[in-house]
Amino acid sequence: MTERWEVSPRYPGVAGTMVEVWQHRGLLRFVGDRALRKMYRRTVLGWLWLFINPLFPLALRALVFGALLGVGSDGLPYFLFLLAGTVVWEVFSTSLMWGTRALEMNRDLYGQVYHPRAILPFGNMTPSFLNLALKVAIFALALAYYTVRDGRVYLRGDWALLLAVGALLLSLLFALALSFFTSIWGERTRDMRFALGGLMGVWYLLTPVMYPLSQVPAEYRGWMLLNPLAIIVETFKWSLFGVGEFYGAALAGTAAGVMLLLLAGLTYFTRREARVVAER
Amino acid sequence: MSNTAAEWRIASDAQDGVGDRAAEVWQYRQILWFFSVKALQTLYAKTHLGVWWIFLRTLVPLLVASFVYGSVMNIASGGVPYLVFFLAAQVPWNCFDGPLVRGSRGLEVNRGLLVKLYVPRIILPLGGMTPGIVEPVIVALVLACTLIYYRINDGIWYVASEPRPLAAVAALVLVLAFTFSVTLFTSVWQARARDARFVLRYVVGFWVFFTPVIYPLSQVPEDLRWLMHLNPLTAPVETFKWAVLPGMEHSWTWFLYTVAVTVVTFFAGVRFFLRAESETMDKL
Repeated sequence: MTERWEVSPRYPGVAGTMVEVWQHRGLLRFVGDRALRKMYRRTVLGWLWLFINPLFPLALRALVFGALLGVGSDGLPYFLFLLAGTVVWEVFSTSLMWGTRALEMNRDLYGQVYHPRAILPFGNMTPSFLNLALKVAIFALALAYYTVRDGRVYLRGDWALLLAVGALLLSLLFALALSFFTSIWGERTRDMRFALGGLMGVWYLLTPVMYPLSQVPAEYRGWMLLNPLAIIVETFKWSLFGVGEFYGAALAGTAAGVMLLLLAGLTYFTRREARVVAER
Repeated sequence: MSNTAAEWRIASDAQDGVGDRAAEVWQYRQILWFFSVKALQTLYAKTHLGVWWIFLRTLVPLLVASFVYGSVMNIASGGVPYLVFFLAAQVPWNCFDGPLVRGSRGLEVNRGLLVKLYVPRIILPLGGMTPGIVEPVIVALVLACTLIYYRINDGIWYVASEPRPLAAVAALVLVLAFTFSVTLFTSVWQARARDARFVLRYVVGFWVFFTPVIYPLSQVPEDLRWLMHLNPLTAPVETFKWAVLPGMEHSWTWFLYTVAVTVVTFFAGVRFFLRAESETMDKL
């Protein structure tokens, strides 16, 4: 019995990369596992961080902005309102942070086993999926609590709920598309990560997570809608609770834009990856 | 060849006791200068924008936050435009935030140097803190520009009728002293465990919400204000605003409370630092 080995050149072009990524999808688990392990390595509290991380800032913001300062929340309990916005925002922000570090964190893999590098940004995002699962669990608990307490059904009961899943997916794809660029830029320097950290802080403020879009003065609202995340977050809250407005055209535009950016990102990544890896 | 044997004397600069240590730090003050300049350069080294980068990084988040908090979330600001209120509170707050985070890295960052030469280690967190002074200075300059802008645009000086520069400076110095005292603990923790950095980031992120920086103290229900004042940063922030802006209130009693807390933290910090120095730092 002889084993047959076939050595073939890699598929050319973007389509080839996509095929290749699909063929190597088994590696995703391996890459994700590595990312999870690295998350809290060398820390004393270890996995406890997983719970401290999402809960503390949330509770505090709810206390200060909701209870103390009485910021509007489209008629929802402020905590629930903030939680919903945070879920969809953090899918974007944590995925982007981890995706950006994809190449830099997996350098040691370059020489060891062949893998399409395009698999790394997505695989490295695994910690953010774990974060999402935790947040969704907290959200379900909070929803149950407020529903019982107020005797009012906050969640809407129609097909629009499916759109919420779409919004989550869109925010994930947007992060992935950007990661194809940022992971290349961030491969060599840590500056990229720090600059991104500062940018995310500003971006968070400009996205209606802590406040409803309806509270933005009318003359600025048009500008706010230029932020794709604003549309995604508003869509998410609208499809869950029926609050705020549904910006159909803007949502379609955002979805199309994200798909284009994804394609552009993959093209850029495919062109540059060989050089980035070879220069090491 | 002369016959005199060479005389060797081993002189150690390390001495015990807080007073001796203070004298030692004074002896090594030029090294403090060296570390400060080095830390200052890392602020903008290797960036394309150079020094402008510091301005951009400090100002853009502040201006955006001021717009969101003031115009969108409509947070009260005690009778002055929100931007003025917010910037005035950010000056003392930035004397804490930046210097604390930077000073805490002091030991960790200079680990390699510690093996090569002797310096009183207490100099490292102090040297690391110094570039943190840049940000409050920038914020203060922008505050001044904002005041002038409102003077021209609205015809109103949003400045206290009798500004109290001494009180303002005293408040800032107090914040810096408090920050240094805290750094004595945090720099050691951070050299020991990576968590410390995360914890610190969290605590500082928390702390700003419990300090009247984004909202005035008058927003807090009266019976809970003492709770806010237990936070040692509340009093100096209030004093600074009172010294600069019109129509603000503050309390010297709570200011003295912060002075007391700072003194206690400082001595406890020095003790802690000196002990940790012999126990763990040589194992870095």
